[in-house]
Amino acid sequence: MDLEVKRDRLVFRAMGGKWEWGIEPRYWRNPLIYISLLILAPVVVYFVYPALLATVIDANLLAAIAIPLSLMTLGTGRMNFGPQFYIGIGGYTAALLSIHFGLSPGMTLIAAALAGLVFGFAMSPLSIISGGLYYTLLTLLFPLVFLEITFIYTDLFKGDTGLAGISSLVSVGFFSLNQLVYAFISLAMMLIYLFIIDKILRSRYAVQMAAINDDEEVANGIGVNVNKTKIISFVIPAMMISIIGWFYAHYYGTFAGVTFLPLAFMLKILMVIMIGGRIQIYGCIVGGYFIAFLELLLIRTTGAMSPVLFPIILLILLLTLREGLFGLYRKRHYREYLPTLHVRR
Amino acid sequence: MAEILKVTNVTKSFGGLTAVAGVSLSINEGETVGLMGPNGAGKTTLVNMICGSYSVDSGKIEFMGKDITNLPPWKRCKLGVSRTYQIPRPFPELTTLSSVVVSALCGKDRQNRSLDDAFTEATHYLEFVGLFSKRNILARDLTLFEMRGLELARALATGPKLIFIDEVMAGLNPVEAEKAVRLIERSKDQFGVTILWIEHVMAVLMRAAERVIVLHYGEKIAEGSPEEVAKNQAVIESYLGERKNA
Amino acid sequence: MLVAIETTAIYTLLLGSLYLLVSLGFSLICGVLRIFHLGYAYIFIAAIYFTWMFMDLFGWGLVPSIAAMLVIQAGIAIAIYKGLIVRYMKQEEIIITGLLLVAIILEQAAMRFYPIQTGVYLETTVMAGISKIGQVTVSNQLIFAAILGIVVTGLFALFFLKTKLGLAVRAISYDLYASRVMGIRVEQLYMFIMVLVLIPVILAMLAIAPVWAVDPGVGWGYMMTAILVSVLGGLGNIKGTIIASYIIGLCHSTVAFVIAEPRFMGLSALIVVLIMLIFRPQGIAKSETVW
Repeated sequence: MDLEVKRDRLVFRAMGGKWEWGIEPRYWRNPLIYISLLILAPVVVYFVYPALLATVIDANLLAAIAIPLSLMTLGTGRMNFGPQFYIGIGGYTAALLSIHFGLSPGMTLIAAALAGLVFGFAMSPLSIISGGLYYTLLTLLFPLVFLEITFIYTDLFKGDTGLAGISSLVSVGFFSLNQLVYAFISLAMMLIYLFIIDKILRSRYAVQMAAINDDEEVANGIGVNVNKTKIISFVIPAMMISIIGWFYAHYYGTFAGVTFLPLAFMLKILMVIMIGGRIQIYGCIVGGYFIAFLELLLIRTTGAMSPVLFPIILLILLLTLREGLFGLYRKRHYREYLPTLHVRR
Repeated sequence: MAEILKVTNVTKSFGGLTAVAGVSLSINEGETVGLMGPNGAGKTTLVNMICGSYSVDSGKIEFMGKDITNLPPWKRCKLGVSRTYQIPRPFPELTTLSSVVVSALCGKDRQNRSLDDAFTEATHYLEFVGLFSKRNILARDLTLFEMRGLELARALATGPKLIFIDEVMAGLNPVEAEKAVRLIERSKDQFGVTILWIEHVMAVLMRAAERVIVLHYGEKIAEGSPEEVAKNQAVIESYLGERKNA
Repeated sequence: MLVAIETTAIYTLLLGSLYLLVSLGFSLICGVLRIFHLGYAYIFIAAIYFTWMFMDLFGWGLVPSIAAMLVIQAGIAIAIYKGLIVRYMKQEEIIITGLLLVAIILEQAAMRFYPIQTGVYLETTVMAGISKIGQVTVSNQLIFAAILGIVVTGLFALFFLKTKLGLAVRAISYDLYASRVMGIRVEQLYMFIMVLVLIPVILAMLAIAPVWAVDPGVGWGYMMTAILVSVLGGLGNIKGTIIASYIIGLCHSTVAFVIAEPRFMGLSALIVVLIMLIFRPQGIAKSETVW
């Protein structure tokens, strides 16, 4: 193992392979500006209007779900319509272990990640054997069936009301300060996911994924291990999304399948990706904040009509913004280093 | 010369149709072998089976002494088997350079090669086929001749020992055809690959191949030097039909 | 035990025939039009709640309300087709998301204006009362729904096999480009199919309404069944859908009556479909054709 620091790149060698990370300070200006804004936002909100911190956390988490989902879509070549299934897995694992065995959040994190890994592996053959439409339909069904199971085994999952009494991740005194800490943790998670997936999308693995998406048989013929790539790009995002489920459980202190498993939540995640410009991971952040604040705005202004108006507005946005909100920005300021691979069927 | 490919009695049927019936052949290192036969003779099916796209109903395929009959296609590629496609199949959304980078990355196992190194290697292959100036154009926007060149570059970038070239001449005008033949001869010199060349155009095989195998209705009907095969009665009948008794 | 088996057998037939009505449209849209109609659930909700709306708001009778509802449903289907499907044919994610949004909009609207407490009830009983088949008591309306299912499926099969229009639809499902070249008016046929598939679902909902409870969330359950039947039977294939409907009907009945755990019905059907897919990923149907 060997790490070499050159003028413009880091070279890492291990086990006969070689990986290079380019260091290009001229491209750091924009990301640094936006990350600073993202870090400042919770602080400003804390002093101005602390109740909004919940929305900020929501936004960060939505983005943090959409980013691995983008990787899963690129790697397997199809859109998974049931990502919330893994939220359920991570959340219920964390909740059950915390309540029944009193495990600390650190331990439940490991457990939730493992659960995501195991279930991801179990489901991953679907990405290999099922063709486009069947894959879509089956991934759509899994969370709904999970929801049914939570209703069947009510003593374990507590059906509608969900599990309560999960230990909190953070308690530093009063509520607003807690929220601020949660906001930073959620922001950190999102940025870590963004970093990891950005690096993957600039690496050799992304080129292989692009080849698989374009023509799987040819890719197989030139030496790409198609099945391995699909399985890994299914399992790793599944694990990442389960960890978000863990966060939800410890953040709210309660966890109920009905909040996360039905189609309404999935649609929110989907809209984050669509508004964000479809598989552009930086767009997911824009999408996350947009959807979270839009929902808040609707609830505050229209009250009971908001569950009806929210999807209507989303539909209008979907039909009018072909490239998503982030796409509008990209058309003005095109930068070729932003990864955009296409999903094929 | 060592024998690098040995195919023993392979058979492939699709439902009721037997595409390849008990074909056996062997190829020695450094040879250029032609594979001929009328349309529907089973040439592409045979190549598909050797490369791994189709499974074998019965029979055995050995490459470099190793039994590859049940290996997945990508493993065979890593061992040194590569091919081009009769109808070019470029990666539609990737640029020319990126297409070759995928092969360079994933073909033969090479030590200490990063993505940037793969890009550099890929440019060498593109330069060899003459597509360096088109490296940033989307692969689907190339002309037919350029796409064939890209197919060859992509196959060569995997570092193969054996390449299957599938009907490269189809659709090319005489100038392009001549360029294509010379390109393949040069790749043999420069990269030391063994070639199995599926072709209809007899003139090409006369010039480039040392040995020719002829298939008809899935069976091997002749094998020998190009001159011998051209005079073979069974071969002539398979292409032109039987002589009608006047 | 014998009673349980008898009940299972009879309900397999009843449920299977009912599921035919529910799934036929979904299978056809996904298989023939190649559109992932994941908003299918809205048809169920719209069938009940638009009818109720006309009866409640304008005081119309049952039959005029149903007629009005049919008109609105056809209008919505055409609007969806023109506004969403045609424009985004190449970008399936947008179609799926849009269709799901439509379904959610309608479900939320129904929940907002006619929540469960309002007691929506449609007096659409055709065969009242109950019958006793052997040892088993069955609601007559359910038998009527089952007969309706078989008849409608038969009509669909006849339509696709014997009529010119049906032949044109089959052609589109094989090869779209060649069909266009042959002069088949693809756009109009698509619209026709989108409206045609409404009929079995509406009939099913109207027939079942007096027997089983209706609430705004009912669409998703039926859509899940439709998805399972279609995936099992092979998308777009009528024969496969018929066989799959009865298999799922058998599965549900067995779980409900023999194993006596009705809660597991949905889950058991999913497991059956998953196992089937492992051995035969394209479903029961031998080919991707309409028949």
